[in-house]
Amino acid sequence: MKNFLLRHRLETPVLLCLALALLAVLSLAGSNSLQRTTTEVLIRVVMVVGMFIFIGHSGLISFGHMAFVGIGAYGVAWTTMEPSIKQYVLTGLPDLLQQAALPWVPASLLAGLLAAAVALLAGAVILRLNGIAASIATFSLLAIFNVVYSNWDSVTAGSSSIVGIPTPVGVWQAFLFAAGAIALAHWHGISRFGLALRAVREEPVAARSCGINAWRQLLVAFVLSALVCGLGGALDAQFLGVVNPDAYYLGRTFTCLTMLVIGGSASLSGAVTGVLVLSALMELLIRLETGVSLGGMAIQLPSGSQEVVTGLVMVLTLIRRPAGLMQGREWQWPRLTHPSAPLPAASLEMQPR
Amino acid sequence: MTAALQYLFDALSLGSLYALGALGIALIFGVMRLVNFAHGDVMTFAIFVLIAPTTEAVAPLWVGAWATPLIVLTVLGVGAALAVLAELAVFRHLRHATPATTMMAAFALGFVIQNLLLALHSSRAKAVNLWPQLNLPVDLWGARVPALQMLMIGITMALLVGLAWMLRHTRAGLEMRAAAEDFDMARMLGVKANRVILVAFGMSGALAALIGLFMVNQTGLVDIRMGAPMMLVAFVSTVIGGLGSLMGAVLGGFLIGFVSTALQAWLPLDARAFRDAFVYLGVIALLLWRPNGLFITGASRQRV
Amino acid sequence: MTTPLLSIQDLHVRYGGIAALRGLDLTIHAGETVMVTGPNGAGKSTLMKAIAGLVKPRQGRIVFDGQLTTGRAPETVAASGFSLVPEGRQVFGSMTVLENLRIGTGLRRNALAVAADLEYLLDVFPLLRERAHGQAGLLSGGQQQMLVIARALMAAPRLLAIDEPSLGLAPRVTDQVYEALLRLRAERDLTLLIVEQSASRALLTGGRMVMLREGGIVLEGDPRQITAQQMQQAYFGYDAAPAAMHA
Repeated sequence: MKNFLLRHRLETPVLLCLALALLAVLSLAGSNSLQRTTTEVLIRVVMVVGMFIFIGHSGLISFGHMAFVGIGAYGVAWTTMEPSIKQYVLTGLPDLLQQAALPWVPASLLAGLLAAAVALLAGAVILRLNGIAASIATFSLLAIFNVVYSNWDSVTAGSSSIVGIPTPVGVWQAFLFAAGAIALAHWHGISRFGLALRAVREEPVAARSCGINAWRQLLVAFVLSALVCGLGGALDAQFLGVVNPDAYYLGRTFTCLTMLVIGGSASLSGAVTGVLVLSALMELLIRLETGVSLGGMAIQLPSGSQEVVTGLVMVLTLIRRPAGLMQGREWQWPRLTHPSAPLPAASLEMQPR
Repeated sequence: MTAALQYLFDALSLGSLYALGALGIALIFGVMRLVNFAHGDVMTFAIFVLIAPTTEAVAPLWVGAWATPLIVLTVLGVGAALAVLAELAVFRHLRHATPATTMMAAFALGFVIQNLLLALHSSRAKAVNLWPQLNLPVDLWGARVPALQMLMIGITMALLVGLAWMLRHTRAGLEMRAAAEDFDMARMLGVKANRVILVAFGMSGALAALIGLFMVNQTGLVDIRMGAPMMLVAFVSTVIGGLGSLMGAVLGGFLIGFVSTALQAWLPLDARAFRDAFVYLGVIALLLWRPNGLFITGASRQRV
Repeated sequence: MTTPLLSIQDLHVRYGGIAALRGLDLTIHAGETVMVTGPNGAGKSTLMKAIAGLVKPRQGRIVFDGQLTTGRAPETVAASGFSLVPEGRQVFGSMTVLENLRIGTGLRRNALAVAADLEYLLDVFPLLRERAHGQAGLLSGGQQQMLVIARALMAAPRLLAIDEPSLGLAPRVTDQVYEALLRLRAERDLTLLIVEQSASRALLTGGRMVMLREGGIVLEGDPRQITAQQMQQAYFGYDAAPAAMHA
C-alpha cells in the first residue's frame, strides 16, 4: 500500500485528506457548534488551496481571489434559491436563472465554472503585466468585483445581503470538496503545468528558452485556482445561507493570505497546515475575546484583538520565517532512512588528461 | 463654458488628491521596491487623532479643537511618525525579502492599524467639522469652486515643484535618486541607506496625512474605511505611470482624476455607481497597451 | 614593518551551502598594487564584496586602516576609506556625469579639496569633462568605466578596488582605462586592488599578483618572477599539456 502511494506520488494528498477526515469524524462526535466550526475550516481549506494553486507555484501574490470566491457564492445564490423569492428580490436576473432551482452539486460546479470563466478573461489581461504590477492589478480586480456587486441591485441585491439560500452543506459535504480541491491542486502540481510554472518562477528567461510560455502557464494556474475558489464560495454560501459583497473583500482576503503564508505558500501541505493552525489560533483568540475563566480568573481580551494579533503573527512570520511552517516541504510518511542521506550517484568529475 | 471650468477644477482637485497619494507610494517604491499597502491606513490613523478615541457615535474633538497651524503640524507629524515607525519595526527587517513578502507585510501592517482604529473608535463614521469656511464656494470666472479645491490644487502644485527642486538641487535629493536607482551602489559610495529610507518614509507619511486632512474637510467625516479606495487609486496610478517613476505616478494620478470626473459627468445616471469599476477597467485596458506604464524607468526594465 | 592598510585573516564566505572563500589571508600595504586573478568561480568578486561589506563573512577578520570592518555596512566601510568599483560598472544611468561624480563626496568635509579633486579628475578623463552634463546612461562602456573610477576616487579613498575593469571592453579601450589608472597611481599615490581575468594585464601593471582558485590563494608574488608553467598549474590546478602554451 505504502509503495503504491509512493510510486504514484499520492502520499501527500492522502495524508492531508486523512487528517481532514479525522477532523471531520471527531467533530461529528462533538456539539453542533463544533461541527459548524469544522465545516468552516474545511471550506477555508478549499479557498486557501485554491489560492495556493496560483500563488504557490507562480510566486505572485494575488489579492483578488476573493472576487472568485464571491462570484462562486453569488452564483449558487442565483441557481439554488427558491424562484418565488428570486422574483421579488433579484428582479434583474434573466428568466433562465430566475426559474432555476438546481441541486447543490451541479449548482456548485456551475458556480465554480463561472468564476473560472471570469478568471480566464481577467487573467488573460492581468497576467501580461510584470510581477508587482500584476499583483496590484489583482487588487483592482477585487475592487471591481466589490463595486459591481455592491451596486448591481437588481441582480445582487447590492450591498444588502441575500438571504434564504438553501443550506445543504455540512461537515461531510465540505470534506468532499476539500478532498477534491486537494486532489486537483496535487494533480496540477505534479503535472507538466505545475512544473513549467515553477520553472518560470525560478528562472523566467531560462524557462522561455525551453519553450515554456509563461503567460499561458500562469493563466492555466489562474483559471484552475479561480475554479477551486469559486467552489469554495459556493460552499460558503450554501453553508451560511447568506451572501454579501463585503464578506468577500479585504477582511477575508487578509485571513486567507495569512493562512497561506503561515503554513508556507510554496507547498500544498503548507496551505492546509496554515488553515488548520490559524483557524485554531483564531478560535482561541475569539474565545478569549468573549471571556474565558482560567483557574478562577476571568480573562477577556478587548474586542478587535483577534484581528490585531493575527496581523502581528503574519508580520512576524514574514520577518522571521517567510517560508512559513512547512518551508516548501510536503507532508510525508516518516521515513526510516534519513531523507538527506546521500544517494549513490555517478561521479561527474572529469578526469584531467 | 462655466460648466467646463467647473469640471476642470473638479478634475484638477481630484487629480491632485490622487497624485499626492501616488507620490507617497512612488517615493517608497523608488528607494525600496516596496509597495506600501499600509499607506492608506497611515492616512486614516493620522486623521483619527483629530477626535478622541471613543466608540460612541459622536466623538469629541481632540487635536481637531486646537489652533489651525497646530492641527496641521500635529496631523502631518503623526503621519510621518507612524510611517517611520513602520519602517523601523517592520520593513527594516525585510531588506532582503522578495517583493511578494514585503507587499504582504505591508498589507498585514495595514490590517493591524485598521483594526487598532476599529477597536479604539468603532466602525461608525464620525462627524468632524474642521474648517467649514473652506467649503464655501469662490466665484471664479463664472464657476463656483469650493475654496478647498483651490487650496488642494495650489498646495499640490507647490509640493510637486518643491519636491522636484529638492530632488534635483539638494544633497538629500541626490542621495535619494541614487538610492532609488541602485541601492547597493549608493551605499558603496557612502550614502547612508537607512537614513535615505527614513526620509522617504517620513515624507510619504506626511503626504498621506495631508490627503487625509483634505478628505476630512471635504466629506466632514472620519471613517476607518477612508483609506482603501484612495490607496487603490494611488497604487494603480503608480502602475500606469510606470513603477519607479515619480513623475509617472503624479501624472497617473491626474489622469485617473480626469477620467473619473469625466465619467462622473458623462455616464448615464444608473451607471454612475459603477464609475470606479469603469475607471479600473480603463486602467487595465491601458496596461494592455503599455504593460510597463507610460514612463519606463530603469527600475521596471528587466535585463536578461 | 609598517602596519598594513588592509589585513584579511582566515576569511570564510558561504553562499548558502556553497563555500566561496575558504580561509583566505591577504595583506596589502599602503602604496601597493595588488592584482587578483584566477578562473571563474574562484571567489575574486566575493572577496571584493566581502571587503566592501556587501556580503557578510561566515568567519574571519578584515581590518582596514586600523578599523575592524568585518560585517560592517557598506557605507561604513566606504567611510573608512575603501572604495569599490564593482563588476559591470553600475553608473547611475538616469543622472548626469557630474551628479554621478558628486554622490561619493558626502563623506568629505573640505569643499575646496572636493572641487580640486573634481578638476583633477576631469583633467585625467577629458571626455568626462566634455559630457559633464550628459546622461550617464548614454555613455559608452569605456566611458562609463572611466566615470565609475572617477566617481570612486571622488570619495578620496585610501584604497581603490576595481572588479574587472576590462569586462566587456575592447582592448584599446581597456588600454586607455589602464593608462589612466597608472597615471592616477603615480600622481595620487593610490593603493590599488584590481581583479583582472587577464594575467597578462597583471604583468603589465606591475605590483603583486595574487591568484585565487576555488576560494583560496594558490599563487602569490611578483608576476615577473613567476614562470608560465607555475601560472598554468595554479590557474588550472594541474599541468596542462606541454607544447602550445605561451605566457
